[in-house]
Amino acid sequence: MGILSAIILLPLLGAAIILCVPKDKPRVVQGIAVAALVLDLLLALWALASFDPGTLQMDALSFSFVEKLPWIPSLDIHYHVGADGLSFPLILLTALLSLVAGVYSLNITVRVKEFFFWYLLLETGLLGVFAALDFFLFYLFWELTLVPMYFLIGVWGGPKKEFAAIKFFLFTLFGSVFMLLGILALYFNSTPHTFDMVQLMAAHAGFSREFQILVFLAFYLGLAVKVPAFPFHTWLPLAHVEAPTGVSVLLAGVLLKMGAYGLLRISYSMLPAGFQWFLPVLVIIAFINILYGALCAMDQTDMKKMVAYSSINHMGYCMLGMAAVSSIGFSGAVLQMITHGLITGALFLLVGVVYDRAHTREIGAFGGLGSVVPVYAGIMSLTCFASLGLPGLAGFVSEFLCFLGAFPAWKWVTILSVSGILVTAAFFLRMIEKVFLGPLDSKWEGLPDMNARELLAVLPLTALTVAIGVWPRLALDLMNPTVTYLGRLFPDLFGALR
Amino acid sequence: MRGLGLLSPEIFLSACALGLLLGDTRALRRPLRRLAGVLPHLAVLACAGAMGLVCLSASVPEELRGAGGLWAVDPMAVFFKILVLGACILVLWLSLDYRSKTPHGHPGSYGALVMLCAVGMMLLVGATDLLLALLAFELVSVSSFILAGFESRDPKSSEGAIKYFLIGAFSTGVMLYGISFYYGATGTTSLAAAQAAARTHAPLVLLAALFWIVGLGFKASLVPFHFWVPDAYEGAPTPITTFLSIAPKLAALAFLVRVFGHMLPHGVLGLGGLFALLAMLTMTFGNLVAMFQDNVKRLLAYSSIAQAGYILIGLATGDALGREGLLLYCLAYLLMNAGAFAVAIAVGNEDGYELSAYDGLACRSLGLALLMTLFLLSLAGIPPLAGFVGKFYLFAAAVGGGFWLLAVVAVLNSVVSVYYYMRIVVHMFFKEPVRPQAPALGLYLCSSLALAAAGVLLLGIYPEPFVAAVKSSAVLLTIAP
Repeated sequence: MGILSAIILLPLLGAAIILCVPKDKPRVVQGIAVAALVLDLLLALWALASFDPGTLQMDALSFSFVEKLPWIPSLDIHYHVGADGLSFPLILLTALLSLVAGVYSLNITVRVKEFFFWYLLLETGLLGVFAALDFFLFYLFWELTLVPMYFLIGVWGGPKKEFAAIKFFLFTLFGSVFMLLGILALYFNSTPHTFDMVQLMAAHAGFSREFQILVFLAFYLGLAVKVPAFPFHTWLPLAHVEAPTGVSVLLAGVLLKMGAYGLLRISYSMLPAGFQWFLPVLVIIAFINILYGALCAMDQTDMKKMVAYSSINHMGYCMLGMAAVSSIGFSGAVLQMITHGLITGALFLLVGVVYDRAHTREIGAFGGLGSVVPVYAGIMSLTCFASLGLPGLAGFVSEFLCFLGAFPAWKWVTILSVSGILVTAAFFLRMIEKVFLGPLDSKWEGLPDMNARELLAVLPLTALTVAIGVWPRLALDLMNPTVTYLGRLFPDLFGALR
Repeated sequence: MRGLGLLSPEIFLSACALGLLLGDTRALRRPLRRLAGVLPHLAVLACAGAMGLVCLSASVPEELRGAGGLWAVDPMAVFFKILVLGACILVLWLSLDYRSKTPHGHPGSYGALVMLCAVGMMLLVGATDLLLALLAFELVSVSSFILAGFESRDPKSSEGAIKYFLIGAFSTGVMLYGISFYYGATGTTSLAAAQAAARTHAPLVLLAALFWIVGLGFKASLVPFHFWVPDAYEGAPTPITTFLSIAPKLAALAFLVRVFGHMLPHGVLGLGGLFALLAMLTMTFGNLVAMFQDNVKRLLAYSSIAQAGYILIGLATGDALGREGLLLYCLAYLLMNAGAFAVAIAVGNEDGYELSAYDGLACRSLGLALLMTLFLLSLAGIPPLAGFVGKFYLFAAAVGGGFWLLAVVAVLNSVVSVYYYMRIVVHMFFKEPVRPQAPALGLYLCSSLALAAAGVLLLGIYPEPFVAAVKSSAVLLTIAP
């Protein structure tokens, strides 16, 4: 078994072991879960050492850690996994966020065994989506994320958890069944019939433009719900707010990236004519996401809801970068996926920290906290600055690259989209002001500062945010050859934009 | 007598059933009192023996396979016979751990009726002559009427059985009427003459075919011939509900495949569109009504209607891929539906069949709740479970055959179905339990659950052997006209 399979299957193994532990031993369950999460991250880091991102001049995608085993030979379905510069950073991100969110979730006290069972199952699904190179496998992992997430929201969530859980389930499933039809359509129209994603990336020449548009739309339904692109975003604020903190981190940090990843891996690479046909609409949707998400976030009084809406805004930047269809735009989009995962993941953790203590997330309920919880205030402010795109922090680099890439192709939309940054800055600064500055409300005087578990969860994300902000090549070197290659593809379709 | 030798499993099973029936007679009951507890086990053994005989035909195909004037023993018939017998074994097992408020006290005749029903279905799936098919159809019907009303002291059981009987008798009449048209057109009841007759007497054969579809539609509970289903399913003893929701439905569908997928293929009568319409109606109606059920038996009854709709996709496309998908889905359906009903029996033995009985099952018994979730998710078609592989195959057949509308309706139905399957999950995981004790699980219930769960997972994760088996089973033998 290769290292990539080990990374994917280790959490599954952990989940199976947890299932065998009696439920009155929560400590053992937590120990196994953390061990599995730590080992998984270590494996991912070990893989990083031998990961080959390829060269800038390569003329085909180079996948590392490829494993291809026959799985259902009668239908020509293989267990085919591999990682390239597009998926490997996301795999690293998933392993990291799963660990920190898992460490944070050690504060869960009810039904611990079930929680970590579903949690580890979810991690396997998330990792698998990014690693799969066979459509059957891809769809399997894609759906595998649904059920654990449903339970994680539905059992351990907030007051409206049941509705949030089923809405999330039905919305995503609605999108993904159309994706399934798209997969089948690709299978029957490729010669020879295949579910192999690498082969399908080379097969687009045989697809007519009309066919590509139709299949693009089928895939888009599935991917847009995950991104989430306007108008399929309505599940997001609900699910993010109701989910327990650790799960919100994975929802925002990783789950949304599945959609964006699919847009590049499938929609763009396999259906370029469909992508080109949809491009004007995609730009508009990206713009709506940016502005609408930011304005909605501004309107919120609940910190968690605000962060949730800011995710819609940030995924808008990501889509804008993709709409550039150039190497710069793509590297901005992929980097935005990573930085948004780090920053928003940290933000959700930090909102969870204050909620655990004060049992409220209303911005108006606080004031002057900076003097009581200085460490918390410092980290929170830094993360907010990163999220609003302050130079020197990770968010700035990716957003800058997205705008830089999009500008030559879509001047006006890009100029208008920059206003989104202003709104983002406005609501984050307003929150910092209302929560940390001003006179201290006496009822918060005894508020304890962050404890070791919380620091352990948040600090790695903060450190990476600063590190990528100062030295972006840390992340960009991993993805550059792949996105450069992708950005060069299809000159006859997108040449005019570049 | 080679032709009769082909029927050895059926003959064996009938003989065992008659012997078992003796055990319940007044004369023998007293001397055999000690054996009363053994009778159900004997029934299981007989079914297993018959299954062994069926499987023998796979090892010596040249001797134990073939087609005669009345029946064919071909790979597809063998496949469905194994499914039917598997269902019988599971159901007889479940019956052993089923606690009823109104116990019937006739273990011998109960087992014998299930076995006779199985004989009927085994004949039906291999029938190539309409007269034999009608006889088999009647054998299935009559024994299932009695089984549905077996808890005769429970008015609901009697009501369901009477409804079932009236509609079943009507459907037999319709079927017979259709056969008379066919006889009028061809002068024979053998299906071998069907293709030729369809060319020379197209309107008459078409009319006959429509009547057959109606008759078989009742048995397979296709919409709009499904009225009897919820009442009969709710009233019947739960193991019998399990049985009715699986075996007769699959047998009727198998016969539909033999007639309309093989003897009278779509190219001859052009009924593909009709089957697509029936499939869409069946799945949509079943799913929409299931959303509003608060009784788990009724919910699963409507779900089984919807499931028949998915299976019908395989018939609508009419190609080899569709037929293989149909077979695969039938296998998956047997496993997951039997599993779901097994959990329903485990919970229902003490707490009844209302949805509220499932409150907090995850806290009472996490294993049972997870198993139920597994079966429900499989029924909903979520990977990596058996139901998904089956649906994947069927949807692929629909897409490959260019039935786009059918494919879209089918996937949308899968989404709708998740809503009501998850309603049970909501009760199991998100509600507080009424009492902390876990439901008691008998040995047979446990083994059925384990078997079904293992099958659902194996078929979902490693479908290759099953796909290969289905590919080799989708072969029908033709008889010389």
